Amino acid sequence: MQLVEKESGEVTVLELGGRLDSNTSKVLEDKVMEILGQGKKKVLMDFADVDYINSTGLRVLLLALQQLKKIQGKLVLSSIKDYMKEVFEISGYTEIFPIYPTQAEALANFS
Amino acid sequence: MLPGFSLRIANRLLELDRVADAVEAFGEAHGLSAKLRYQIRLVLDELLTNTISYGYADDGEHGIHVGMAEEGGRLRFLLEDDARPFDPLTARIPDVNAPADERPIGGLGIHLVRSIMDRVAYERVGGINRLVLEKDI
Repeated sequence: MQLVEKESGEVTVLELGGRLDSNTSKVLEDKVMEILGQGKKKVLMDFADVDYINSTGLRVLLLALQQLKKIQGKLVLSSIKDYMKEVFEISGYTEIFPIYPTQAEALANFS
Repeated sequence: MLPGFSLRIANRLLELDRVADAVEAFGEAHGLSAKLRYQIRLVLDELLTNTISYGYADDGEHGIHVGMAEEGGRLRFLLEDDARPFDPLTARIPDVNAPADERPIGGLGIHLVRSIMDRVAYERVGGINRLVLEKDI
């Protein structure tokens, strides 16, 4: 899994790539905990280069959302590949995560 | 039945790469969509990860059989292992409609398997878990 962290105003942008699975999701979980530890409350995860996610990866997203909600923070997702969208729906994630087609649209949602 | 694949993997998570490669090769040969290939990889990943991570009482090496074939417009999968008895049809699944802060963490894998596949049948035969899954295409 690739992970690039950027700042856009108050928003922490995590550009993810590759596979979010049982072997790699811990990297994202650790990054989320680090961001929370820094007191950051606005997080955008960009899935443009993610080509695989399983329930371990999905679990990390839910964990991040729950932690951010506790501190009145916000987690927004963007750029999920079409072929993976149904799995986000089946998981019920389209109901609890704001999901945008592009990173730019997701960023606009924070302002 | 058109030729599919039949693999025997060891109970190690790294072996899942071989399964993913086999699904991709099968998907390409049969012209399956990116969505279908992804969902098949996901289902096999969830089931095999469960078995490998939680299914065995000892640390020894065990073989797991993974089969896949296309037959009359449907994909058919067979998983056989000698892990503890585990029936994914009776496993508890999380409430995927609960508000975010009340969602249980975990349990999602089996929900994905049951949602993606059109038919799932489980039997325990002679110390073997035998799971047959079907997906209409």
